[in-house]
Amino acid sequence: MIKKLSSYKKGQPLIKNAYMSYALFGLFLALMPLFGYLGIIKSSYVTIIASVIYYSIAALGLNVLLGWTGLISLGTAGFMGLAAYISAYITYNMHLPFEIALVTAVVVSTLLGVLVGYISLRIEGIYLAIATLAVAEILRKTFEVFDPFTGGASGKPISYPTLFFFYKYSRADLKIFETLLYLILVLFLIAVMILVHNLMKGQVGRALNALRGSEAAAQAMGINLLKYRLFAFGFASATASLAGVLYVHYNRYTNPDRWLLALSLNLVAAIIIGGVRNIYGTILGVFIVVATKDMVLAQIPYFANNPNFALMFNGILIILIILYYPYGLIRIGADLKKLVVKIKEKF
Amino acid sequence: MSTFMQLFLRSLETGSIYALAALGIIIVFRTSNITHFAQGALGTFNTFVVAILFTNYRFPLWAAILAGILSAFVMGLMVDYFIIRRAKKIAPIAKQIITLGMVLVIVGVTAISFGLDPFILPKLFPKGDVMIAGASISINGLFNIGFGLVLMGILFVILQKTKWGLAVRTTASNEFTARLMGVPTRNVTMIAWALAGVLGVLAGVMYAPLNRVDAGMLDYVQISALVACVLGGFQSFHGPIIGAYILAIAKNLMSFYWSDVWAEQLVLIAVLIFIIFRPNGIIGRKIVKKV
Repeated sequence: MIKKLSSYKKGQPLIKNAYMSYALFGLFLALMPLFGYLGIIKSSYVTIIASVIYYSIAALGLNVLLGWTGLISLGTAGFMGLAAYISAYITYNMHLPFEIALVTAVVVSTLLGVLVGYISLRIEGIYLAIATLAVAEILRKTFEVFDPFTGGASGKPISYPTLFFFYKYSRADLKIFETLLYLILVLFLIAVMILVHNLMKGQVGRALNALRGSEAAAQAMGINLLKYRLFAFGFASATASLAGVLYVHYNRYTNPDRWLLALSLNLVAAIIIGGVRNIYGTILGVFIVVATKDMVLAQIPYFANNPNFALMFNGILIILIILYYPYGLIRIGADLKKLVVKIKEKF
Repeated sequence: MSTFMQLFLRSLETGSIYALAALGIIIVFRTSNITHFAQGALGTFNTFVVAILFTNYRFPLWAAILAGILSAFVMGLMVDYFIIRRAKKIAPIAKQIITLGMVLVIVGVTAISFGLDPFILPKLFPKGDVMIAGASISINGLFNIGFGLVLMGILFVILQKTKWGLAVRTTASNEFTARLMGVPTRNVTMIAWALAGVLGVLAGVMYAPLNRVDAGMLDYVQISALVACVLGGFQSFHGPIIGAYILAIAKNLMSFYWSDVWAEQLVLIAVLIFIIFRPNGIIGRKIVKKV
């Protein structure tokens, strides 16, 4: 062990094994409720970190579509909402366990996502973003008007679900359920991170990279466009719907205003800001877009009174990063290091 | 019959609003090859300018609208000068994301400069109804329909008959060759963005009395305008306008004769199905992909 540590060279990542780093990251996140309990961090931060986690799950799937496949979807919020409502209906109105709700909601939304992917084959680039926007609008309007299922504009409050098929919620277990659901969030995030890592390092990732470069060339090499397009759309909607299910059961509330275009835009923003085709970059981006507003800017009185600065700030970041720094902020550490070395060499 | 006529006229009014917004999107698309997702956000910002001048500074409505048009024009120029010009060389998908970023910036700026409280903007012609074929329509509605049609007519004459129109059309067909031929493509693109801004604020001012002036007021107009562009096809200037009117008429007729709740979704689904069979829209040429 000591030998291994001493053989560490400058410039190498500290933890060589990617799985190890994901596991450690997961452990760190899993300790947050404990930190909150001990008073090391504000206990309200746990909720914010939970929101970073479920949005990260959706953003990781979207990164497969946007980053690796090179297709824009503006329907993420719609798919998240659809899965949230379906699962809420199953656990709250039908009193079925959480796991059944999760599977059903993810399967239904994924099928819809695959259908959109199929449409995407017929239409090209510019149309696609608009088509997904139309799908999101169809879903949003449905959430608003389909009262018996969604509770309409006033929203749908639910209670914690039955976990692991037997553990029923009672008010005395409030804290336990909150923590359990938080841990489930962390578990799913790590699972999705590892899944994306493996898929994108493997054959699927290579195929998607090739298709992004040139569809014609990739097809000439024998890559099946239909299969991989459908996969990318299916995967993105599966993670989005997973995030939606987790969202609604962690927060125990949903309403149509949660699933607007703004959310989809913010997730796209997160990917661009953090780093396209980069797993930790995606999470960093979500953290910047979702959490800095509440955790950092809220400390500064001026920004606390003007929460819309965060929105503007995200927008400016997107534009600047696309124009001048296309690999995203995850690279900033390495680039700063290079800069420091350069300056040192000069003097 | 009179109910149908009533619905038809009402649809023409909303159709004009969608058509103006769609025309802005298509002019930008044709000259700088960017899908302008920020059209609604820009229009909302400038409609707020009109509403603030009218409500807080007691401008007469027409003067407020003129000021709004001016601010939209300037903002369009600025967007082109500060952002779009610098994005010439990047991939089309990244350009799209830039306009999405612009949406966030403009929505943020709107909220910061004007607050979150909604405003009411009155009609340009507050009173009076006209009967047409047994259906009544407000003078303001009639004016909106007429104004939309006349404005679009003028723009088409400019596009087809003047030197400027020729410059726009050559830039649209091939920017690189146009520049070689001495067309000032930079200025053409800049004017296109400014014009899109103006069309956006006009759509906003027409739409505001039917609703109210708030942050999300043009969201639905934006989506309808984009869908109208898809329906009509991105390859011509008049396709999206036809698309906009079809969309408005279809939605109004469906919500009256079939279901108020599901009309909007059904129309959008119908458009999606339509583009599966005709991916380039009603008046679309096939885009030839070069390897």
